[in-house]
Amino acid sequence: MNRQRVVAMILAGGQGSRLGVLTASVAKPAVPFGSRYRIIDFPLSNCTNSGIEAVGVLTQYQPLELNAYIGNGHSWDLDRNSGGAFILPPYQSSGRSDWYKGTANAIYQNIPFIDGYRPEIVLILSGDHIYKMNYEKMVRYHEEKMADATIAVLEVPWEEISRFGIMKTNDRAEITEFLEKPATADSNLASMGVYCFNWKALRTALMEDESNPKSSNDFGKNIIPAMLENKQRVMAYRFSGYWKDVGTVSSLWEANMDLLDYPDQIDLHDASWRIYSRNPIRPSHYIGQKAVLDRVALTDGDEIYGTVRHSVLSHSVIVEEGAVVTDSILMPGVHVGKNAKLDRCIVSINTKIGANVEIGPEVKDGIKDYVNKRLCTNGISLVADELEIRPGAKFAGSSMITGQKSDASENVVSVRSDD
Amino acid sequence: MLSKTMGLILADHHRIHLSELNQPRALAAMPFGGRYRIIDFTLSNMVNSGIKQVGVIALSAYKSLMDHLGTGASWDLDRMQQGLYLLPPYINAASIGDDSDLTGLLDFFSGSTQQTVVICDANIVMNYTFEEMVRQFNEGNQDILALYNRDGNQFGSPVISLDLDRRGFVRDVMIDALEIPSQRSFLGAIVVSRDLITSIIAEAIARGQTDFSLERILKMYTQYRIRGYEYKGKSLRINSVAGYFNASMRLLDSEFRQALFNEDTPIYTKVKNAAPAVYEHGSGVTNALCSDGCRIYGDVRNSILFRNVMVAKHATVENCVIFQDVQISEGAHLSNVILDKDCVVRMGVKLQGHPDYPVVIRKGAIV
Repeated sequence: MNRQRVVAMILAGGQGSRLGVLTASVAKPAVPFGSRYRIIDFPLSNCTNSGIEAVGVLTQYQPLELNAYIGNGHSWDLDRNSGGAFILPPYQSSGRSDWYKGTANAIYQNIPFIDGYRPEIVLILSGDHIYKMNYEKMVRYHEEKMADATIAVLEVPWEEISRFGIMKTNDRAEITEFLEKPATADSNLASMGVYCFNWKALRTALMEDESNPKSSNDFGKNIIPAMLENKQRVMAYRFSGYWKDVGTVSSLWEANMDLLDYPDQIDLHDASWRIYSRNPIRPSHYIGQKAVLDRVALTDGDEIYGTVRHSVLSHSVIVEEGAVVTDSILMPGVHVGKNAKLDRCIVSINTKIGANVEIGPEVKDGIKDYVNKRLCTNGISLVADELEIRPGAKFAGSSMITGQKSDASENVVSVRSDD
Repeated sequence: MLSKTMGLILADHHRIHLSELNQPRALAAMPFGGRYRIIDFTLSNMVNSGIKQVGVIALSAYKSLMDHLGTGASWDLDRMQQGLYLLPPYINAASIGDDSDLTGLLDFFSGSTQQTVVICDANIVMNYTFEEMVRQFNEGNQDILALYNRDGNQFGSPVISLDLDRRGFVRDVMIDALEIPSQRSFLGAIVVSRDLITSIIAEAIARGQTDFSLERILKMYTQYRIRGYEYKGKSLRINSVAGYFNASMRLLDSEFRQALFNEDTPIYTKVKNAAPAVYEHGSGVTNALCSDGCRIYGDVRNSILFRNVMVAKHATVENCVIFQDVQISEGAHLSNVILDKDCVVRMGVKLQGHPDYPVVIRKGAIV
């Protein structure tokens, strides 16, 4: 194989269980985002815009959709002769097949893939963050500082430090301590899940970690603390700009709405840093005679005949006359029937909402069988993919509507053939 | 699927000129329907029929056409075997001053091993596969099969009227006849064997001819047995500026959109990575076909917007076709206007055309 100085590995293997039914049949990085995109378009586009040509995507849950989406990497200009985008599922070897035990183990299992490029630097990226970042600058910083590892950090509000991995640094920006979701700390520098390693140093650390049976084989919990303990040089690389973890229902919802409310924060019109995506082969979107649009993002194949306010619609969505969609995210192929009312809903791929259906926190007498306040915070409801919601059905807010049987299941029909 | 058939698309048409819209680009490269160029329809029709080798003859202003087609990847025509062939004119000492040089075309056909050729003009917009037509060609006893429909002269000049005998063979061909002999108008596509088209071109070269058109082939009806083949579906003809404008407006009709766009035979086009379109607070958009990257603050009615069009607050766009990267500033008022790429309409400017005579603003103009 041709040599590549920098190889990027995108961790796309998490189950994404906090996204509830949205990740029931789709891996988290393949979850549609921001009308035209899927979450993984951001790290993939960052790679191609940073001049990185060899990218491994580590995946194990529901890989079908992700595989089909990434294909040969052509959409991100990653169909290279010497490199490219590769989906890396857990290896099957004779006698055993190892599920990825943790983020570090996922990289460990793919050491031969990385070795093949004989790289100096390996970037470990997370597949579930929305941000634009020039990794080339980070690599340069890493090399200038002669670090063994460099971790991208950004300042987060002090009251939120308990949600992040927090880095303590000295005045030379060397990381001295790593705290996983601390209750209190005297630093507010959070890890962005973007790591830059000397391949030699990382390779050794991975081997040692793997031989430790007590390790949970995780970058944050094991690899970084071990490197700090071994007095290796771990630097913090400060990033300032838009960055959002979209691992929960409310953060996914917020990040989508940010595109409408703060379009300059993550400028998608920036021609120098395009976010690439696989394009659906659909015509331009059509807006009907009686349509009302107020702060709405639309893309190819959409047909809007009703009212849509403050919402983000993926491709091939139809909103029929009289329907009112508010504060919602509609994923590819969703059909909203006549006079239906959706309020704070995330509706997954190809689901059909029948006429006069109502879902939302304001719905009176809505059935509560699907309410899931643990995952569906802030009154946001989730509707799984490939469902048909019967006309006239009413659901309370914070519902997580699936095709699985329940007392109210006469209202929900799964159209997936294998159910 | 047509495995033994090749395609040829004529990117220019000697009788069709779209004034300023056509100057910076070949006819085939005319933007259409918000995100397409008109060649996308013919090219996708061929690809959807299973044709894997397609030549495109471009005579002039073919830069934007070449940009658009690239390696043919968007149509899956970037292949090791066959694929997309751009056939621009050969420039050599012998051909200077000529319209074109047919030897390149001769090479394209003689170098292939396909049996059958589908040749299309680029000005027809429809969603069609050629399988049935080619099957009939293979089973019938004619030399050339010519596609027609019953549009008569409703799309305006050029109208190539085909007069057919009772067995469906062409017995007369008239162009822009004052009184058309029949409603049957040639629909810009023929099927012919590769052997026959090769010998027709070789003979044309021998006679010193430098141009190639389907019209010229149809006029050989006394020499070859040319049979008509009727198309009954929906189609649009881009014959003039007004025709282009009307064809564009037809896309606002859901019946037409359904006929042209379906999931089984998609219309492919070059991928561009624009942001999603955003409709801001205070915008009023009705009956409009819009594309990615648009930012709309004002009012848009009965219009087609290509990618990255900005319509500012209090601007009104009515019955317009707006090409990509156009900016329409606050308080501007446009009706029945075709605005070419990269135009800027300044604050408060009013432009008004008539549906039959839309105002055309050339590429890059600042109004």
